[in-house]
Amino acid sequence: MSIGLEDYLFVSILLFAIGFLGVLLRKNTLIVFMCLELMLSASILALIAFSRYNSTAANPLMEGNVFVLFIIAIAACEVAVGLAIIVALWRRIQTVELGEIKELKH
Amino acid sequence: MTQLPIAFLDGVSACLRSAGTSMSGFHVYLMIFAIALPLIMALALAVSGKLPERMVKACAAIGFLVPGLSSLWLGAVYLASATDGGYMFTVLADLGLSSRFGIYLHLGLNGIALPFYMLAGLVGMAAGFYAIQSGVERLRLFLILLLVMQGGLMGVFSSVDVLFFYFFHEFALIPTFVMIAIWGRTGRKAVALEVTIYLTLGAMITLAGLIALYVFTGATEFSMTGMRAALWGSGFPHQGTLFGLLLIGFGILVSLFPFHTWAPRAYATAPAPVAMLHAGVLKKFGLYGLIQIAYPLLPQGAMEWGPLLLWLALGNLLVIGFVTMAQRDLKLMLGSASVMHMGYAFLGLYAYSTVGIGAAIMMLVAHGLSVALLFLLADVVEKRGGTADMSELGGMGTRTPVLMGLFAAAMMASVGLPGFANFWGELGIFVSLYASPTPWVLYLALLGIIISAVYGLRAVAKVFFGEAKGEIPDGDIKASEKWPALLLLAALFLIGLWPRLISDPVNEGVLQTFPDRAPVITAPAGEISLTE
Amino acid sequence: MDLGTVLSMILLAPLLAAGLIWMFARQRAVLAMTLSLAAAATILGLSLWLYFQLWDGTAYEVSMEWMRLGPLQLSVGFLLNDLSALMLFVVGFVGFWIHLFSVGYMNDDPARGRFFGGLSIFMFSMLGIVLADNLFMMFIFWELVGFSSYMLIGHYITTDEAAQASKKAFIVNRVGDFGFLIGIIMVYWTFGTVSLGGLQELAHHSPDSVTTAMGLLLFCGVLGKSAQMPLHVWLPDAMAGPTPISALIHAATMVAAGVYFLGRTFFLFTGEALHIISWVGVVTALCAAIWAFGQRDIKKILAYSTLSQLGYMVAGFGMGSLYGLHHGDGHGAALYYGIGASMFHLTTHAFFKALLFLGSGSVIHACHHEQDIFEMGGLYKKMPLTTLTFAAGVIAIAGVPFIGAAFFSKDAILYVAKMTNFPAFLILTGTALLTALYMGRLFVIAFLGKPNSKSAEHAHESPWTIVLPLVVLAVCSVAGGYAGLYPERLGVLVQNWVPLAHGSDHTLMLVISAVASVVGLGLAGLVYGFGSKTDRVEDKAPPVYAFAKSKFYFDEIYNAYVAKVQDRLADFVSFLDTLFISGLLVKGTAAVAGLFGIGARRVHTGSVAAYVWWFFFGLLLFGAFAGGFLDGILQK
Repeated sequence: MSIGLEDYLFVSILLFAIGFLGVLLRKNTLIVFMCLELMLSASILALIAFSRYNSTAANPLMEGNVFVLFIIAIAACEVAVGLAIIVALWRRIQTVELGEIKELKH
Repeated sequence: MTQLPIAFLDGVSACLRSAGTSMSGFHVYLMIFAIALPLIMALALAVSGKLPERMVKACAAIGFLVPGLSSLWLGAVYLASATDGGYMFTVLADLGLSSRFGIYLHLGLNGIALPFYMLAGLVGMAAGFYAIQSGVERLRLFLILLLVMQGGLMGVFSSVDVLFFYFFHEFALIPTFVMIAIWGRTGRKAVALEVTIYLTLGAMITLAGLIALYVFTGATEFSMTGMRAALWGSGFPHQGTLFGLLLIGFGILVSLFPFHTWAPRAYATAPAPVAMLHAGVLKKFGLYGLIQIAYPLLPQGAMEWGPLLLWLALGNLLVIGFVTMAQRDLKLMLGSASVMHMGYAFLGLYAYSTVGIGAAIMMLVAHGLSVALLFLLADVVEKRGGTADMSELGGMGTRTPVLMGLFAAAMMASVGLPGFANFWGELGIFVSLYASPTPWVLYLALLGIIISAVYGLRAVAKVFFGEAKGEIPDGDIKASEKWPALLLLAALFLIGLWPRLISDPVNEGVLQTFPDRAPVITAPAGEISLTE
Repeated sequence: MDLGTVLSMILLAPLLAAGLIWMFARQRAVLAMTLSLAAAATILGLSLWLYFQLWDGTAYEVSMEWMRLGPLQLSVGFLLNDLSALMLFVVGFVGFWIHLFSVGYMNDDPARGRFFGGLSIFMFSMLGIVLADNLFMMFIFWELVGFSSYMLIGHYITTDEAAQASKKAFIVNRVGDFGFLIGIIMVYWTFGTVSLGGLQELAHHSPDSVTTAMGLLLFCGVLGKSAQMPLHVWLPDAMAGPTPISALIHAATMVAAGVYFLGRTFFLFTGEALHIISWVGVVTALCAAIWAFGQRDIKKILAYSTLSQLGYMVAGFGMGSLYGLHHGDGHGAALYYGIGASMFHLTTHAFFKALLFLGSGSVIHACHHEQDIFEMGGLYKKMPLTTLTFAAGVIAIAGVPFIGAAFFSKDAILYVAKMTNFPAFLILTGTALLTALYMGRLFVIAFLGKPNSKSAEHAHESPWTIVLPLVVLAVCSVAGGYAGLYPERLGVLVQNWVPLAHGSDHTLMLVISAVASVVGLGLAGLVYGFGSKTDRVEDKAPPVYAFAKSKFYFDEIYNAYVAKVQDRLADFVSFLDTLFISGLLVKGTAAVAGLFGIGARRVHTGSVAAYVWWFFFGLLLFGAFAGGFLDGILQK
């Protein structure tokens, strides 16, 4: 049994769906963050899979891999900023439950 | 014996005529200057640092005097020249917008614009001088805003280009919102908010209509003459919608029933010079626009909307007439009365004949002068009597006889007494209504003369007749308050005694703009078609 | 100097005086009086020069275009013919003597400047009506006369009566002007012109164009100005003004302007219109005469008397013209009988009514502003000249044969009434009796007997400026009935066109007048008694007195209308305006916009999860759009 592109994509979609549902449904900000990272991981996986399976011997595709490097770097920055915001939020209201963060409402 | 004054007048008009032809360059600059100077003065007052009060007042005085005097001068030259109601003193400047939008700085005065232009200059002078001596707080800011208004007003009536016509109108309108909000009477914040939104809405609808009109006529120049030239003889579709847009847009700005509710409260709450300029001059913008732009270009649309306009104008006249009779506050009453008089003007437009439209213009000019005068005097009454509530005032006649005389004269003018300018316009409107498609409207319109007499005389009786109540601290009307009032009263008198000053240019202007609208008289000797 | 210039000078002299008074003499009473009196003298002098030297009696017309708007042309001009000449004389002559009277009468008034300025403005306006050659010009001066009347009735500005009376006069006049202006505009559009000369010709050539509606609408103006029923209510209230004003404006000239107007435009009235006009006049004459019996104020009695006599004039015009229609060639000159009858009575009435008012002014002045006749009495001893002249006036109005001017003028009216409308003739004869009765009542109570109050005891004869006009007018009241005495240029109308009775009718008229006047006066003396303190009719027959005093509740009805109907309607409309237009439409629109705002605000819950859901749905929408699923809806 050979593992084809579809299998990687299936895993990627599964990961993305889990991450997306987590963002929608989880209440803890840190968990939401982790789900965001999950979605990013899913997209990374899909990109590498496309890059690996669509390149031929004569024409190896590097675009996906390069894109993935960008994503990892940016994801790291984004996580840093996001966690800083969460820490500041914790210092302010001593909680990271999404249900408690409601000051920007009408 | 009658030869002497006639010879004198002939000599004067010959001088003016030669001045008109020889000094045309100067006149062009004068036109621009009349608009620019108040704005320059306003800017100067705004950016300069600490200035002594006298300097401020002097600058403002120049800012009002120059447009006023130049409007009178230009008017005199125009009246003496043989223009057949056409355009004179034309200024055509390309500001870089002509290739894409067809917009030039196109100024000029024709027979219809001239009386309004002179009205703007005169009332501006009166309002400006009244404001200068009124002693309000933050006088400098007040005068700056008033000067901006004045510049805008001069621009409105001398613009031939439609975009600048609208642009100057906004220039003149927006300071009123600020002035009502800061210097108004009680309830000013709410009123300022309502007026801002309402009138901006009206202005937007107007702009939409004007732009749509421009697109449909396919003219190359976004000006009154350009659109007329592109359209001469031929019509185009959608006239009904376009006219409706313009009617409603201009109508809101002119307080056509049922879009009138902003007017009485706005004029009552506004400080007197603002009320004078707004009710006296700025309101005429809408009707002027209808006469110069909508009616000549959209005759089919005008006919379609005629019946509705008839009922709305009657609403103005009769419904608001009764509302005016019910008012207890003097300034609210004057504001409502001003709305009522717009009904006359709209009826004149409805009649859609040379008599009707010409008389409507005369009536508007006269109304501008008289309503400005009334607001000035009402402000003096309020200052002297301490209140504007007519049930609390009373018996001021013995203590302030000059004020009583001026007020009674102004009220008589507003009621349409012959000898003042308002009479000629109202009479012409009544005459034209009988020849309109619905002669019965004359019976309803004439009820207006009874209604206006009722509330006008009631106001005079309540405020001035009767036993004196209490003390009047400042005494009778001061000289500095009297002179602006006398200026307006003199103008009313002059036009009232010698209506040709206004009726001649209006007559020729209207005949040029509406050549086929003279109604026909069926006399027993056969048909006398009195077109000229 | 040509006629046009002289007429302009006559017209403009009082205007000039008024202007000068306004500018320089508001506080300087003597200067104001001099200017005004000089203007009045100028008017009289120039008019007399006109009649005796300058004018040859032919109709003179001149006009100048004043304003033009399209086909509408308004011009000012003069039309001098026999009718305007007579009226000019009446206005100038009576006006001058009243000016002189005012100098003495108003000597203690603080606002003399304003008074004399107003008097001059009035003369200007009245002369404008007299000399006008077209209907629009007449309307202009019609309004101006209304304004002068407003200004002068409201002279005593500290009193409430003056405020209400001046307002009432102006507004009631405006109600009349409402119909008047419609009529004028109708005439303009039917005939294409409003010039009197042109209209006369056109009406002659095509009599069918003249409609009854036209005539009746024009008559509305007469209703207002000449105080015919139902617009008569302003005249008694106008007595709140100073007495010279009541004499000049509300007796001799302004109220007569309506009758004059009828004369000027006689060719615009059809037979039906004339019939209605006659009846209005007759009813007014009768009712006013009845109401005079319920009044105690000397000026009010004279006011109702004026109303009654105006009714006579209007009826005389109507029935005289009908008489001319039936006895003449149908149109044209014979209609002049109506003008002759009414104008003759107008002239004599101007003389004796001005006399009576000025006499009452002399009495009021002497009795220190006492106006109730039952507080007077015995004045014949204290004020002999005034009494004598007043008696001349009473005799004149009662129509005592040969010595009272109204004998001749009322005769003419009664004669045409007999010939055209017998019921009206009976009513008018009865009214003549009533006239003598109530005037007699006035005279015997106020002048005869013994003084009834302190002020009457201290009365004394008035100064010469007051008495001289009385004497002059008394002479005219006696002599004015003799048409032959009128100078040639003035008397054309009264000499040629007053319908005189012939033969047996002549004797009948004489007998009727004699009986009515003598019996009336005698009865007055018997019933009321000399110098009574109370009204005997009120004491002995209260219902009769109450009937007369009620004035048939016209004033009450009008006041109720204004207070209950008009003001309530105004308040109601104002309420509806505030509720519906300002409230529902404007604030309602704002509220709807506000609702949108509230709805939009609800989206901002502040919950991150909700925002993410919105994000998801937006994503779905974009995806559908990109995938072409929304093409059907968007109809690209």
